[in-house]
Amino acid sequence: MNVPYSWLREFLPGLPEPEAVREVLDSLGLAVEEVRRLPAPPAGVVFGRVLKAEEVPGTELKKLEVDVGREVVTLVSGAQGARAGIGLAVARPGVVLPDGTEIGEREIHGVTSEGMALSPAELGVGEYAGGLLELPADALEPGRELAEVWPEEVVFELELTPNRADAFSVLGVARDLAAKLELELVEPPVDVEESPVARFVTVEVEDPEGCDRYLARYAGGLEIGPSPLEAQRRLLAVGLRPINNVVDATNYTMWELGGPLHAFDLEEVAGGIVVRRAKAGEKIVTLDGEERRLVPDDLVIARKVAGGTEPVAVAGVMGAANSEVTEKTREVVLEAAHFDPVRVRLTARRLGLSTDSSYRFERGVDPNLPPRAAARFLHLLQRWSGCTVGDVVVDVGGDKPRREVPFRPGYANRLLGTGFDAASQLAALERLGCEVAGEAEPYAVRPPTWRVDLNIEEDLVEEVGRILGYEHVPTEPLALIPAPDNLNAEEPYRREEALRRAMRGLGGWEAINYTWLSPAYLSLARAPEPRRFLKNPMDQSKNALRTALYPGLLETLAANREEHHRFFFELGHVFLDVEETRLAVVLGGPLVEAGWQPAFGEGYPAVKGVLEALAARAGARVEVRPQPHPPLHPGVSGTVFWNDEPRGFIGRLHPQVEEALELGPVHLFELLLPLPEAERSFRDLPKFPPARRDLAVVVPENVPHVEILDLVRRFGGPYLEAAELFDVYRGRPLAEGQKSLAYHLTFRHPDRTLTDAEVDEEMGRIVTAVLEAGYKIRE
Amino acid sequence: MLEEALAEIRAAASLEALQEIKVRFLGKKGRLTQAFKAMKGLGPEERKARGQELNRIKQAIERALAEREAEIKAAELEARLEREREDVSLPGLALAPGGYHVATQILGELVDVFRRMGYQAVTGPEAEDEFHNFDALNIPPHHPARDMWDTFWLEDGYLLRTHTSPMQVRYMEAHTPPFQIVVPGKVYRHEATDATHEAMFHQLEGLAVGEGITLAHLKGALLTMARALYGEEARVRLQPSFFPFVEPGVEFLVWWTNPRTGEGSWLELGGAGMVHPAVFKAADDAREKAGLPRVYENVTGFAFGLGVERIAMLRYGIPDIRYFYSNRLAFLRQFPRP
Repeated sequence: MNVPYSWLREFLPGLPEPEAVREVLDSLGLAVEEVRRLPAPPAGVVFGRVLKAEEVPGTELKKLEVDVGREVVTLVSGAQGARAGIGLAVARPGVVLPDGTEIGEREIHGVTSEGMALSPAELGVGEYAGGLLELPADALEPGRELAEVWPEEVVFELELTPNRADAFSVLGVARDLAAKLELELVEPPVDVEESPVARFVTVEVEDPEGCDRYLARYAGGLEIGPSPLEAQRRLLAVGLRPINNVVDATNYTMWELGGPLHAFDLEEVAGGIVVRRAKAGEKIVTLDGEERRLVPDDLVIARKVAGGTEPVAVAGVMGAANSEVTEKTREVVLEAAHFDPVRVRLTARRLGLSTDSSYRFERGVDPNLPPRAAARFLHLLQRWSGCTVGDVVVDVGGDKPRREVPFRPGYANRLLGTGFDAASQLAALERLGCEVAGEAEPYAVRPPTWRVDLNIEEDLVEEVGRILGYEHVPTEPLALIPAPDNLNAEEPYRREEALRRAMRGLGGWEAINYTWLSPAYLSLARAPEPRRFLKNPMDQSKNALRTALYPGLLETLAANREEHHRFFFELGHVFLDVEETRLAVVLGGPLVEAGWQPAFGEGYPAVKGVLEALAARAGARVEVRPQPHPPLHPGVSGTVFWNDEPRGFIGRLHPQVEEALELGPVHLFELLLPLPEAERSFRDLPKFPPARRDLAVVVPENVPHVEILDLVRRFGGPYLEAAELFDVYRGRPLAEGQKSLAYHLTFRHPDRTLTDAEVDEEMGRIVTAVLEAGYKIRE
Repeated sequence: MLEEALAEIRAAASLEALQEIKVRFLGKKGRLTQAFKAMKGLGPEERKARGQELNRIKQAIERALAEREAEIKAAELEARLEREREDVSLPGLALAPGGYHVATQILGELVDVFRRMGYQAVTGPEAEDEFHNFDALNIPPHHPARDMWDTFWLEDGYLLRTHTSPMQVRYMEAHTPPFQIVVPGKVYRHEATDATHEAMFHQLEGLAVGEGITLAHLKGALLTMARALYGEEARVRLQPSFFPFVEPGVEFLVWWTNPRTGEGSWLELGGAGMVHPAVFKAADDAREKAGLPRVYENVTGFAFGLGVERIAMLRYGIPDIRYFYSNRLAFLRQFPRP
């Protein structure tokens, strides 16, 4: 929302300088995005009256004879609107435009152009570059320097929050400033001279839910032409494009008061106006020239025609070409209505048509504004064009009463932590336009109808805070004793944090990858099929929510091909049938990089070591049992058992994936969180010496260590304290395809020293079990 | 004999040689031992004199041996130390140092600040339902306020949470006041990516609920946070703003001095306010449906939320948010945290 300083000042004669206003606006919650200074038109640009316009033969150009005061000059212009009977901004040779262009005398198609007629953009006073600045022929005396009547403007560009519908108007912003700064507010005048009219329209509202108010008024004796300079100056400053006096008056009033208006050519709607739902498939050509297909939830303004009705506007969004105000228009019907915000929003969204009107209706327009907005429009138009104003007012719906909100100043202080006295709180509300009744708490506060956002007591508390100032809110510490059911709330996060810390301690770099990937990539990485898809992805191909963390980490590896320490982890969410939290670790190189010393810590044992260290930190038992997992090399793939529960997979990435992604060997694991915890209780320190024995078992190559370990544990008896693999041997004298697994076994009794005979007995049982399983003992 | 022994001891070059000398003179069959034995045949006077002499010799030899032993040991230690000399300026083993992602690091810092104030950190789902992300937060369907959050929708009707605020209601559904929580986490906005906008980023949400909680308490919490982040000179300003789930709603600004330019400015750090009654009601309604008592009818609370990446970008002068999730080591390793 752009608000020119001069416009504000019209309503607030006591307004301080722009810099001070900026701060006040910020403190009111009307955030100033930017303060723009629009310069006056460049020196030397003068007002010119077009006396004659004729075509330059064989071109689309026009040769204009323009009275610029002391002389009449010839200008050539390509603008469509260049015509006799209007005023223009004329730059004579020598004038330098804001963009640096110097105007010269030019010969165009055999005609000498003694200067240039300018567009608002060329003048630097607006954005519109599609045509000339067109002024009434008598706006100024020819030859007058434009800059003399067109001062520099300061425009506040406000970024308004959607609740402050009322502030989408100059008056709304002025009201807030008046309340905050305790300034006198001069309301814009609405007086008109009315006269009886010969004809007018009837209005039927068939859908009062969609339109709870429809007000129509009459203006006649019109001569359509450019608006006065002052009006155009403001419209241009706020970013609107001047069109003609009638349309400009609707826009001007909308910007000023916040109520969108629409003017129909009376001739076109003379049969009567009906406000109704659109019929399925009904079409309308809107003012932008687009044909739009409507649905029954859309609300339309229709005109009665022979045999029925046809739409002349999409209510609150845009009018139709069939009833628009043209140069020929002599009488207009002015619509000042109030439409349902949700309906307007849905229609505007569906049509992809967000207009200044729909934007305001969506957010909430004062339902009691129509009479005033209509009167203001008529007031302006009468002054601008001398039109007649009809004494008829068709008003379907009428005024709405104000809401009543109970308000306790004490509650405001309890919420804000302040000590504002009741009187100043109530005064602040009154300055905002609220009516306050009552002698004590709760007061009955009736907010003005333009404040559609004030519905509950807390809304009023905010108004008190806004107007009296949050700088009065003290700073206080808060100490509380949480209710007991909150006590372990932090546990999941704490454990995630601990895993991150442990992984960092082990040397991993934390990566954070995007949650979305392409289904093709997930499939290439051999991850589970995606279950959940984005309806509106940023990148059409990346529309699947990740089903595992490691595919993202493979991308991380790929992004760091040139780097050392390609050891990454990620803790994040994946999306299978349920949303899971996981930890994944990838290792794309050695744990210790080669330097002047050789590298070490590579391959599967390295990643397994990371897993074991992680488990040791957590005090968990971890075990890997061979089992194929799709992402992994089938021969280097296992299930991770964390405290005896299967929690994920570990192994080497499948060679096909390594090759497809042009990665070297990658080892990885991925675990589902939270990891199960084992109960822990203190075990007394050993008091008696252990007995140690070694055991070497010869097994076929495909028998995993864990199988032997299981046997040893199962048959090792109650005093087997530890079984530790210390050697894996292949080669002579073992046969091809055989390996020897050698273990240190530790036995210990808690209460005495074990005898050799006892230990021999335990060893005997283990050996028997191994032999019975079909393996050999290596002596 | 003494002269001879002392000469040999002086000449001994190793502990082994010294040992050999010791055996040769003082051993069971050593020369001195022999000389002691040879005293048997002497008369008492003579034997006494001879004994004293031999003892003197023995002591002298022992002393000489001990001295020489010490000398040799010292020399050997010297030699060993010299042998074991290393170039300590050589690089060490290239162990992986590891580190947190900078977003985790900032979140962790923030969480720690609030933990010291008695908050607990909780987490929640990223694929949210419309109820928790919008409706329960007083953001009804078809309300223009929804435009404040450009949303990634899922085909199954869910969405990627646009803020960490859904956890306000989720937490209240399952817990009783009073409490103070922070919610660190990933959030998503359907926005074109550029140097300052990312479709995925991190937020920290805060929520304190109990009896008698005021905006002044919010200001206190934010000031403590601001000081932890920006030092004791930090100041906090509240400015009216609008978030449908708080009323009054504010934006909080922190006075921040850019360490690179030395210039100070007010930084819009996040949104905050007093929990909107509609949010309490949504939580209570959900509790009631789940058979739990209504416990949010006589309490007040404040909530706040802030973005994490921006804090990192300002602190370290990171020019482009798109670096964050490229996960390039060249980026990741620049933010060690002691």
